[in-house]
Amino acid sequence: MDRRLLTIIIALVAVLVTFLLVSLIGGAINENLKLEEVGLLRFVFTGVGLVIVFIVYWLTRSSGAWDVGTREVVYMAIGAALYAVFSYLFNGTVFTVPSVSQVALRPAIAIPMFFGYTFGPTVGFFTGAVGNMFGDALTGFGLSPQWSVGNGLVGMIAGMAALFADKKKSMNVVLIISAVLAAIGTLLYILYPALANVMFFAPDEGIFGDAQITLFAGLSVVIGFVLVLVVRFAFGKNIDVAAAVMWSMLGNLIGIGFAALSDIWINGYSPAVAIVGEFLPAAGPNLIFAAILVPILVAAYAAMRQQTGR
Amino acid sequence: MLVTWRYRERKSLIQSFDPRAWVIFYACFLASSLLFWDLRFLTPFLVIALLAVFASGVTWRETRHVWLFIGGFILFFSVLTFLTGRGGMEHYTEEHTITSLRAPFEILGWRPTLDITIERIVYAISQLVRVFSVSSMTVLIPYTLNPELYGVAFRGLGLPDKIAYAMELTMRFIPTFARDFQLTMDAQRARGYEVEKLRGGLFAQVRKLAPLIVPVTIHAIAGSEDIIDAMDMRAFGVGPRTWLKQLHYRRRDYVLIVAAVSLFAASLIFSLLGHARLWIPDWALAWAGG
Repeated sequence: MDRRLLTIIIALVAVLVTFLLVSLIGGAINENLKLEEVGLLRFVFTGVGLVIVFIVYWLTRSSGAWDVGTREVVYMAIGAALYAVFSYLFNGTVFTVPSVSQVALRPAIAIPMFFGYTFGPTVGFFTGAVGNMFGDALTGFGLSPQWSVGNGLVGMIAGMAALFADKKKSMNVVLIISAVLAAIGTLLYILYPALANVMFFAPDEGIFGDAQITLFAGLSVVIGFVLVLVVRFAFGKNIDVAAAVMWSMLGNLIGIGFAALSDIWINGYSPAVAIVGEFLPAAGPNLIFAAILVPILVAAYAAMRQQTGR
Repeated sequence: MLVTWRYRERKSLIQSFDPRAWVIFYACFLASSLLFWDLRFLTPFLVIALLAVFASGVTWRETRHVWLFIGGFILFFSVLTFLTGRGGMEHYTEEHTITSLRAPFEILGWRPTLDITIERIVYAISQLVRVFSVSSMTVLIPYTLNPELYGVAFRGLGLPDKIAYAMELTMRFIPTFARDFQLTMDAQRARGYEVEKLRGGLFAQVRKLAPLIVPVTIHAIAGSEDIIDAMDMRAFGVGPRTWLKQLHYRRRDYVLIVAAVSLFAASLIFSLLGHARLWIPDWALAWAGG
């Protein structure tokens, strides 16, 4: 392995171990020394996410999917810039679109999924992570690095389709994992239907992330899942569209899941609140956007390639 | 065609530093201010941010729109925080009510009540100071960082050549795509597309966004061929990259970097020792009858 890369990884792990030690034995030395600081934990989870990305890369490094050539460099930049611009435009600051049933329109998430699936996991990760970072900076809130890593994971996993030679077989595995994840989330909603939707804000109605989650938002992961399945079987012949939505779904469930679960420690949510109040209303609608917009993008890109002969 | 950020040469404090040093300072500033909720620690950050703004040579005329937009946004969120105590619950456990405003009417048996508590006021002010410091430092970057130096600066910060170049391109593409988006929207409007009336159910709304998102995305990818060709013809990525402009640290840059790193280290230690939490002044507590 590249020596510099090794140094970076060792440094990253060393920092994580230090934090772990401080949180485990720090309290015994000085009772003020507890790792409960919101800000600090953000960095810890950013590190955890990066280590996960690195492990996935390390295990599959022999595949050509991670290679970065001139094309990939330019696509990374295009993806990240588009994601930043779209998330800035659609996060309620420029376009004010009324939310339907507690679901705000965040169509930008289709960008890391599409770029990840089409141009590979490296492009996907860069698009999600850097795009989210610049998008936050444009709005003036550069505050959540762990969400950047979560968004990066969305793009990276969408791109991992390229690691498998047999697209059909891999899709079945993706289907099973996604079904299990969606089922766990929805089961928690059925168990705790009275929790608040922390992602929903409607200042004119006096709702600031404290309204009870609606049935639609609570079941949105199931709705999205069904929609993805419909797209998959409706486009059974066009394997590219089917694989794109399936892998985007898995990326979305894992990436947003990572960010939401990290809020158990960062924001002190209970696991049920993190999943029902945060994961479901964020990941569910994303699935719906993915099921509609990703196929359109994939088809439009295929048409463009055919037309220009690239 | 590329659209650029409104950078120009200025004789200013920020631009007298090496861009790498300034990016390190910015990162440390951001990370440090994220650690604190205590107004006593946040005020120095605000002072640093204001100093940077006033010494940046960026004029009000150039940045008027940005400031008004960000100002409005931050104010909106702070008022929101104040009215609801949103987010504050993680930081304080008991509230001292100063006064409680009750609406003179009822909506379906529910009477809107606004509890003004000392904790909410202090929390809202802390949030205002914190977010304002961070965003004013962020606003300065496109105005003061020379676009010619983006790539070499990221390279100098230790990123691999390709990633550094991808970061440079990202920063250069953002204003271009914002312009493309505007053009596409105007073109679609001329064809009768009504973005203001994005009604209908969720599915209908998402579908209606396709005429905006798809052309901008596909146009960007199609347009990138020229850039890829240009890079390939210059043998991009074949060997170690050389950059047209070189950066050299001077003494003042080292001073800035040391200051930035010590700021972060000190902030980390203070926050680990538990000094970063929300701070309610004693006199304010006494005033609220606590």
